[in-house]
Amino acid sequence: MTESSGDAAFLVPGTVEAAVEALGAAGAVALAGGTSIGLMVGQGLLAPSVLVWLGRIPELSVLEEEDGGMSIGATTTLAALAAHPRVRATVPALADAAASVGNTRVRAVATIGGAVGHADPRQDLPPALLALDARVEVAGRRGRRRLAIDELIDGFMSTVLDPDEVITAVRVPLVVGRRSCYLRYTPGSADDYPTVAAAATADVADGVPTAVRLAIGGAGPAAYLVPEAEELRGVPEGRWASATAEVAESAARRADPVDDRLGSAAYKRRMVAVWARRVLERCLGAEGALP
Amino acid sequence: MKMHARVNGSPFVAEVPATSSLLEVLRGAGLTGTKEGCRIGVCGVCTVLVDNRPVSSCLYLAGCADGADIWTVEGMAEHAPSVVDAFVECEGMQCGICTPGQIVAVASMGPDVRDERDVRHYLSGNLCRCTGYGTIVEAALDAQARRRDEVAPA
Ligand SMILES: Cc1cc2nc3c(=O)[nH]c(=O)nc-3n(C[C@H](O)[C@H](O)[C@H](O)COP(=O)(O)OP(=O)(O)OC[C@H]3O[C@@H](n4cnc5c(N)ncnc54)[C@H](O)[C@@H]3O)c2cc1C
Ligand code: FES
Ligand code: FES
Repeated sequence: MTESSGDAAFLVPGTVEAAVEALGAAGAVALAGGTSIGLMVGQGLLAPSVLVWLGRIPELSVLEEEDGGMSIGATTTLAALAAHPRVRATVPALADAAASVGNTRVRAVATIGGAVGHADPRQDLPPALLALDARVEVAGRRGRRRLAIDELIDGFMSTVLDPDEVITAVRVPLVVGRRSCYLRYTPGSADDYPTVAAAATADVADGVPTAVRLAIGGAGPAAYLVPEAEELRGVPEGRWASATAEVAESAARRADPVDDRLGSAAYKRRMVAVWARRVLERCLGAEGALP
Repeated sequence: MKMHARVNGSPFVAEVPATSSLLEVLRGAGLTGTKEGCRIGVCGVCTVLVDNRPVSSCLYLAGCADGADIWTVEGMAEHAPSVVDAFVECEGMQCGICTPGQIVAVASMGPDVRDERDVRHYLSGNLCRCTGYGTIVEAALDAQARRRDEVAPA
């Protein structure tokens, strides 16, 4: 067994303010569930001089419904999200994305903050949260701010956060009548990262979509929105099949995948079209809209 | 750092780097029931309970284990005897390498894990290259049934 060499300072702040302060030190890294950081440290890819563990900050573990939205504290675990009855009932895309991540042991400790702060393009939650039009709440020395997922994540494993900024919560809007759906495609083991992932939300009134959002993961340096999904607005049910197929082709054109063990770039691009169409059809046809 | 915890119900103190893995700490203290496999969180042979949650101890940092209530396979006869009995009676093992992780993972199942589909999803990250999983799933279902009976005797 290899021994860890060197020691990092390990800080356990009790408040967001103290965490921000601690993260101001050179080389400091925020630590939440540690599933990614533990892996990178174990592999020798990361040797932080200061680890700031967010696991003991009460403010960060609150999950509550407030007017028109759900505020999910940054250290809420993926297992808790997947099992939460209100999350499942109101935003099934998020519950399903959380339930899909890795394995039981990852979900037991990995957090929603890490699921967006890690910014790995293969992660499940970013496309779901992007389709749901979520906002990430951030606190830092310059104050508090709110960012959309595609503002927070600005590239491959990269975010716009300042080193001292902490994600405090993710806020998901709850809209009456909104449907949401998340699908991921893994040709290998169910525990694998998705080759491609697709998430959609749809507001449907009298059988006609009034708003549709589609987001794709796994097929570019970061999850991306497909603005062409808005073209489904006002389309009657009889034309959904052809209209969703067109949007799915737009989703594939916007893909910028790379060859890796999850599939070739060309394969991923084709799979984006397939899974974008499926998620849109599933979402538009979904029974359970948010009451 | 000085890590203070409870391991299998007893006080535990170790002087370790905060970035060492809980797996290294436990095995270094002679608790070698917990096995080392992939070291990347995939195989499950290193599964232990930290404050009742199943974790990959190969990824779990000692710093996060400070103050925690930790259970390993060595404590399962005390912490989850019905799970151990179920594995023995259903013969949920062959070579035994994956068994410590399987037993600890099953011990962490909540009452919501009821049928075969739930069990297979829950244990999908505990790999076994011997049994073909049949007897492990059987043992897990049996353990869950025993624990239901313990909560609500017939
Ligand atoms: C075996 C295995 C399988 C996996 N499979 C999947 C999968 O199928 N799908 C998937 O999506 N992911 C998968 N993952 C990755 C997993 O999603 C991430 O590791 C996890 O979501 C990160 O959450 P965490 O709390 O553990 O983050 P940590 O490891 O603690 O942190 C990850 C990153 O986020 C930053 N961070 C965390 N919280 C905050 C915060 N509040 N504010 C600012 N920055 C923060 C950290 O600084 C770090 O850069 C897998 C990981 C493993 C080990
Ligand atoms: S050794 Fe920890 S999961 Fe494989
Ligand atoms: S019994 Fe041999 S690996 Fe499972």
